[in-house]
Amino acid sequence: MTTSPTGVRPEPASFRDPANRVFHVGDEVLRGLNAQAAEHWRTLAASPFFPTLVSAGKVCATEDAPPTMVPATTGTPWAAVLRHERIPFVSHPYEWSFGMLRDAALLHLEILRTALADGFTTKDGSAYNLQWRGAKPVFIDIGSFEPIRDGEPWAGYRQFCQTVLYPLLLTAHLGVDFQPWLRAQVDGIEADQLRPLFGGTRRLRPGVLTHLHLHGAMQQRNAAASTSDVKAQLRAAGYSRDLQAATVRGIEKLVRRLEHRPSGSHWTDYQRTCGYSARDRVAKEQFVVGAVAAAARPRLVLDLGANDGRYARLAAGHADYVVAVEQDPAVVDELYRALRSEGQQRILPLVVDLADPSPGGGWRGVERAGFAQRASADVVLALALVHHLAIGRNVPLPEVVDWLAGLTAPGGAVVVEFVHPDDPMATRLLANKPEGLFPDYRRDTFERLVEARGRITDRLELPSGTRTLYRAVMGG
Amino acid sequence: MIHLAYLDAGSGSLIVQAVVGGVAGAAVAAKLYWRRLVDRFRRQPTDQR
Ligand SMILES: C[S@@+](CC[C@H](N)C(=O)[O-])C[C@H]1O[C@@H](n2cnc3c(N)ncnc32)[C@H](O)[C@@H]1O
Repeated sequence: MTTSPTGVRPEPASFRDPANRVFHVGDEVLRGLNAQAAEHWRTLAASPFFPTLVSAGKVCATEDAPPTMVPATTGTPWAAVLRHERIPFVSHPYEWSFGMLRDAALLHLEILRTALADGFTTKDGSAYNLQWRGAKPVFIDIGSFEPIRDGEPWAGYRQFCQTVLYPLLLTAHLGVDFQPWLRAQVDGIEADQLRPLFGGTRRLRPGVLTHLHLHGAMQQRNAAASTSDVKAQLRAAGYSRDLQAATVRGIEKLVRRLEHRPSGSHWTDYQRTCGYSARDRVAKEQFVVGAVAAAARPRLVLDLGANDGRYARLAAGHADYVVAVEQDPAVVDELYRALRSEGQQRILPLVVDLADPSPGGGWRGVERAGFAQRASADVVLALALVHHLAIGRNVPLPEVVDWLAGLTAPGGAVVVEFVHPDDPMATRLLANKPEGLFPDYRRDTFERLVEARGRITDRLELPSGTRTLYRAVMGG
Repeated sequence: MIHLAYLDAGSGSLIVQAVVGGVAGAAVAAKLYWRRLVDRFRRQPTDQR
């Protein structure tokens, strides 16, 4: 990312619509608008629906800022500048669980439906229009709202299909996780990529015949027709605003019907099968709470390998925001549904395989920031995780410790549980590997590695005697 | 595969929205196709001259 001498950083993900552009100035999130976008903003701010959505927390809070706060990128100064509420941790749709993408979809459609009633539409329909406050989705792309032009269908429909609807169809109808597909292509899944998977009777599943097959066929047959010609033809044929509203309601109904409840995966049962004694658990919980609360209130806690979120919840009692990271989409989905029903807005669950975290994506690989670029926390929890990486995934122990230190903001703390090689869970992992492969997987080696990168302030061996907890302040 | 640019609604994607818009939508789509057909017929004699 480039920073200008004034400390203004253009957001690498916001160049696609030249009418407006997002900038970071210090901790602030600002958006420059060109003349037309500024005019749209003024009518939007004066509309009845927009303030209602903002106060309901469905659209990110936005206010006018001095236009001089961000420099012009094209020579012409911005006609207006907006200041947005800061989203505590930016995530990408391929890091969301099925339930999260579905709820984000429903919010997008609800916002569009509400906007339509007041004469507005959204010019795109991307899953990237949404972010999260904990388990609550929020629409962030204020630049997307524009006054509706009569006789035109929703311009964002194709993008909505590619980044939202097709991924949902893939998981709901075929049981295939959508995350790797979305991660591979910044513009989402093309109709033609998905159609071969929906042959035979699968054509009859809800939404498939129309939104996938017919849509794909129509794209091919009209590839040569310009959208302005087609818009004119549709207008002449009597396409109306009511029709657009009906289409949106139809998609909403379809998304509500899409469900996915996988039967228990390996890790969904973990808390029952993890083999902790009650005394271990009590000691571990006390240690974690003490370690999170030990220093100034953390702004951000990362819980790595969060499972059912037990420790993320404990941490949230003493921190502003917790990101709970898990590799297993089914586990994350369960956690999300639980957090959502609790109305939790300070714990964000994410699907990330920490041995293969989200890389940078899109243009130049920076349009969608990779996980490592976003993850810098005041406290990093790595509880019963290190053995999965060091033994399960063959990551050298010094690398694991380096990586933990790298995720920690300067002066921040790592709270880590080291599972001894003679612990039943570690033994089980070791049994799958050639004998003698990990001679350095030992408690004293681990301690030395941590101490080379920070200072161990607390240490506790759990009553069962096969696991040790550490709190270490990194870089100091 | 047809790669469509961002902020390009896509012609086929516009028309299919009429088709999925219930009876009223289908009527709009039918009218659009009917007009395209009539236009083609009207144009043909001049094309052949
Ligand atoms: C032994 S459990 C520990 C759960 C919780 N941290 C605790 O201490 O009770 C390990 C968890 O880490 C997750 N995990 C293992 N390897 C992972 C990886 N490479 N990326 C993300 N999560 C991983 C597993 O899915 C599982 O939920």
